[in-house]
Amino acid sequence: MELPDPVPYAVPGFIALVLVEMVVARLRDRTRYEPRDTLTSLLLGLGSTLAGALSVGLVYAMALWVWQFRLFDIGYQWYWFVLAFVLDDLSYYVFHRSAHRVRWFWASHVIHHSSQHYNLSTALRQTWTGFVSMGFIFRLPLFLIGFPPAMIFFVAGLNLIYQFWIHTEVIDRMPGWFEAVMNTPSHHRAHHATNPRYLDTNYAGVFIVWDKMFGTFEPERADDRPHYGIVKNLGSFNLLWAAFHEWIGIAQDVWRAPGLRAKLGYLVMPPGWSHDGSRDTSETIKAQWRVRLDGMADGKNTDGVR
Amino acid sequence: MSWTQLGYSFAGVIALALIARWLRLGESRIASVAQAREAAEQMLAGFVAHDAVIGTDGGAALVAGNGTIAVLKRHGARIAARRLIAPLALSQGIEGVRIETGERLFGSVLLFGVTDAEVRAIEASAGRPRDVVVTLH
Repeated sequence: MELPDPVPYAVPGFIALVLVEMVVARLRDRTRYEPRDTLTSLLLGLGSTLAGALSVGLVYAMALWVWQFRLFDIGYQWYWFVLAFVLDDLSYYVFHRSAHRVRWFWASHVIHHSSQHYNLSTALRQTWTGFVSMGFIFRLPLFLIGFPPAMIFFVAGLNLIYQFWIHTEVIDRMPGWFEAVMNTPSHHRAHHATNPRYLDTNYAGVFIVWDKMFGTFEPERADDRPHYGIVKNLGSFNLLWAAFHEWIGIAQDVWRAPGLRAKLGYLVMPPGWSHDGSRDTSETIKAQWRVRLDGMADGKNTDGVR
Repeated sequence: MSWTQLGYSFAGVIALALIARWLRLGESRIASVAQAREAAEQMLAGFVAHDAVIGTDGGAALVAGNGTIAVLKRHGARIAARRLIAPLALSQGIEGVRIETGERLFGSVLLFGVTDAEVRAIEASAGRPRDVVVTLH
């Protein structure tokens, strides 16, 4: 069965909404957008589309190869689409969590987090190296179950479209029932934040219930406003640096690392891990933050200064 | 994706960026010492800000911390930071002091209107032992 790619149909809507959000930013807070940041995000998005077009054939071929070993024959009735959408979102959660916890996958995903702004153009800041990092392996179990590749790629497109609108500061909170079940701008703002409280939380694509089920949910708080970006912000609008900086970092670390165990660690351990413990991971950052919070609660100066 | 689609997409990207510029989005500055100190603590894990000096154009700042120094620069409408250790590599010019970060893509940071002596004072503040009395401004 032939199914259309829904994403191209959504692109005019993406552009229109970016324009609307820019006008809102002009009226409310001009710092929500920055022309060079927007240009970088959109060019990274365009590059990602190109990279995807080059690799889609191979990914589809791999999906078909796995599908021939399927456990069940699943048809194209509407309810299978619904189930495919839900399970595809679960596979996205697993992928996304890995993309933040395994440096190999993070090297590809970091592009999406490299902007210090949070607006609809940030949603389009996508990876150029998704195929290299092999992020598609997380969807392979769906083909093994028996979902046709065309169906999975269709619902994955819908998932991508859903995730566009949550990249905004214009919307504060959605209705309570919606916030409870769905991923929303509020939940995803926390995900993009570098505040220690929010590091490595809210990995959901469409349904926030996955984070609640697997213990990675953190609600956005008014007293801890999100600061966006990555722990070590780039400080540069260089397109190639944004696309490849973490891969370069991995290559340098692996080259310099003493021994095979350390070399492997720089590939598969969480971002920030180092063989001598000299760098900050999200765990050490959270630990330092908790010490500081405890110190403030006890009325002590955590610097040891009196 | 055809070459025509690619051309239209590229034109669209440029148009959106130009509209953002036309709307004068993204204008900001490091407005105060308090803002610089808060930004340094927020961006650098474990950093506890002491004294700070900001460029008179609001484009950069230097913050003394607990043994290290944070150099901040305006990056778009936000602030980017790096942690440095004294003595800083700097050069005094007519406009102010330029701090070398050692990173080619982050670049050097110009503290507009700041003197060499003010930078050295920040270095001294960062290097103070932890058990001495420090007055925060």
